[in-house]
Order: sequence, then structure tokens, then C-alpha cells
Amino acid sequence: MKDLINRFLGRTNKNSKDEAKQRLKFLLIHDQVDLTPGQLEAMKTEILEVIARYVEVEDLEGTEFKLERGDGHVALVSTVPVRRVVQRAQAS
Amino acid sequence: MSECIVVTSGKGGVGKTTTTANLGVALALNGKKVAVIDADIGLRNLDVILGLENRIVYDLVHVIEGECKLRQALIRDKRAEGLFLLPAAQTRDKNAVTPQQMRDLIAKLKEDFDYILVDCPAGIEQGFKNAVAGADRAIIVTTPEVSAIRDADRIIGMVEAAELPEPELIINRFRAKMVEAGDMMNKDDILEILAIPLLGIVPDHEDIIVSANRGRPVVFDETSIVGEAYRRVARRVLGEKDVPEVVFETEPGAWKTFLRWMGLAPARGMAG
Repeated sequence: MKDLINRFLGRTNKNSKDEAKQRLKFLLIHDQVDLTPGQLEAMKTEILEVIARYVEVEDLEGTEFKLERGDGHVALVSTVPVRRVVQRAQAS
Repeated sequence: MSECIVVTSGKGGVGKTTTTANLGVALALNGKKVAVIDADIGLRNLDVILGLENRIVYDLVHVIEGECKLRQALIRDKRAEGLFLLPAAQTRDKNAVTPQQMRDLIAKLKEDFDYILVDCPAGIEQGFKNAVAGADRAIIVTTPEVSAIRDADRIIGMVEAAELPEPELIINRFRAKMVEAGDMMNKDDILEILAIPLLGIVPDHEDIIVSANRGRPVVFDETSIVGEAYRRVARRVLGEKDVPEVVFETEPGAWKTFLRWMGLAPARGMAG
């Protein structure tokens, strides 16, 4: 029913061409670095595990890992909100 | 009993991947357990048509080289119970896999699946040989164009040389208006030339482009006539006899158009 009302009001979902473009941009970046989104997700988990050994991470929801396309290169940009440095004995 | 079907065409761009995706979804919606394999190593696309590209971790080559278990590489489609995708590798080439390895892989998949659909790459080289290696039957996709039909004819010969049974034909991108005007070859023209059984006719329709944009195969759309065409292809694959083709009304009535726009009317198409 909600769909129907939206259709009457011309509020259809996002244009499919915009969706196509967004998916495509994402794909091209991942093709360029030869990392699938699934692998990026796995890398993110592992990196966070390492970070969490040294600092207390705010919350996992707030962390962001993404690949961005710059001039002829791709950068891994990450934001990890840190609450405080963990003062525990470093096991090494 | 499980069956491996290769979807092939010779010529590129006639709709092999779209056909594989929609047939796979339709079979799964019929309660079958289905694995779709993208055999186009180096140029994978089936993941994108199915909208599963974000979920890939492992691929076909990883499985074959033993880097992961088969189960780890199979991506479950949450929208269609029983449907799984085995994606192609994007950065390797066709020679990363041999026909024998494909046969072994398909034999293994047959333990768990009712249908295994292989999306064959364009061309007649190694990729084709890999794709047909484990297949029990073949579906040839063509469009009503001279170049596509010529290549289809060549591929029919190669399928027979690979000792598969007589392949079946899907005529894709059919435009009823042009056929009526005598500017496009009709079903009989094409069947006369290719002389293989017809599995179905799929109309050329905007829904296909929108569904590809969204990564949501058109068979999910119950009001789409193209979706209905694919659902009927699936019924024939499942062995149902005398399934009529969808009607290709060129100009639907205003009321029907309105109902369809509201999403209230079922897809057109009765006898044809």
C-alpha cells in the first residue's frame, strides 16, 4: 500500500539509472584494486581486531572503511572513532 | 536427479547472462535448488545482473585451486530460496580452469543441487570448452539478427560435436511491432534456419534495463511481461508441455496500462 501511495505521489524509489551509476562506481574501484567488497569487509574486521588491541574503539557502527578513487590511484580511507588508549600490558 | 544446463550463444551481447540469471531465479521460485555458475573468467557479470556483487569473497578459480571450500564460495540469494551463485574470477584468464576441473566441480555440485546453470562466455575458445564440459544439455540464446543467428548456427554444431543432446533455442529481444511490419525475422523464419526446438521467445522490453540497473532479475516482478516470458521458459525446462508463448500486444489498452502501472494487473499473456 505504501508503494502504491508513493507511486501516486510520483515518489517512486530512486531512479534506476542512479542506482546503476552508483553500483558501477563501486564496482570499478573494487576491480581496480582487485579486492571484492567481501574481502574488504574481511580486511576491515582484521584491521579493527589489531586496532582494538591498542585502543578502545568507540563503536563498530561508527567505523568506516572505503576505497576512493583519486588521480590515478585508489586510497583506502578509514575512520575509526577511538574512546581511549588501552592501558593494559602489551602481550608480546 | 540433477541436471547441468549450459547457456551459450557464440555471439556476445545477446542476453546469455540475463537469461541465466532469470532462469535460475525462476527455477528457484519453483522450489528447485539451483546453482548458477559464471564461467566468464576475467569478465564476470552474472553477479552484477543478480545484484550479488557486494557479497563476493571467493570465486570459481579459488575453489578449483583449493584456496577455499566450494561451500564458502557459493553466495546465497536471500530473495530466492534455494538459489546460489558461484562467481567467476575477475582478474584471471580462461586458462586458469580446465574442462576436467569443470566436470569435477559440476559433479560435486550435483550432489546438492537440482539444477546447475552455466553462463558461458562469448566466443568458441577455451571458455566455451570449459562451460560445456560438465553440461548435460544446452540452451542457445539468439536475437532475431543475421549476425547472432549465424553464430548460433556455429555454436549448435559445436554443442553437437561436444556430444550433448540437441540444444534448445531462446529467441531474445523479440519486437512484435517490427515482426508485424515485416522488418524483423519471425519465429518460423528463425526456426527454419536453425532447426532446433524452441524453448521460448522473450520480448525486448525496458523492464530488462531497469532490472539490470537495480540488480534485480525481472522474474521477481510479477507484473512484467518479460518476467512472465522467463517464468514460462522455466516451466518448459521443468518439463511442462504446451506452455503458450506470452502475447506480444503492441499497444495495450489504456485501462490495462493503468492497472499495470498500479501494480494491480497480472502480466499480460494468455494463448499465443
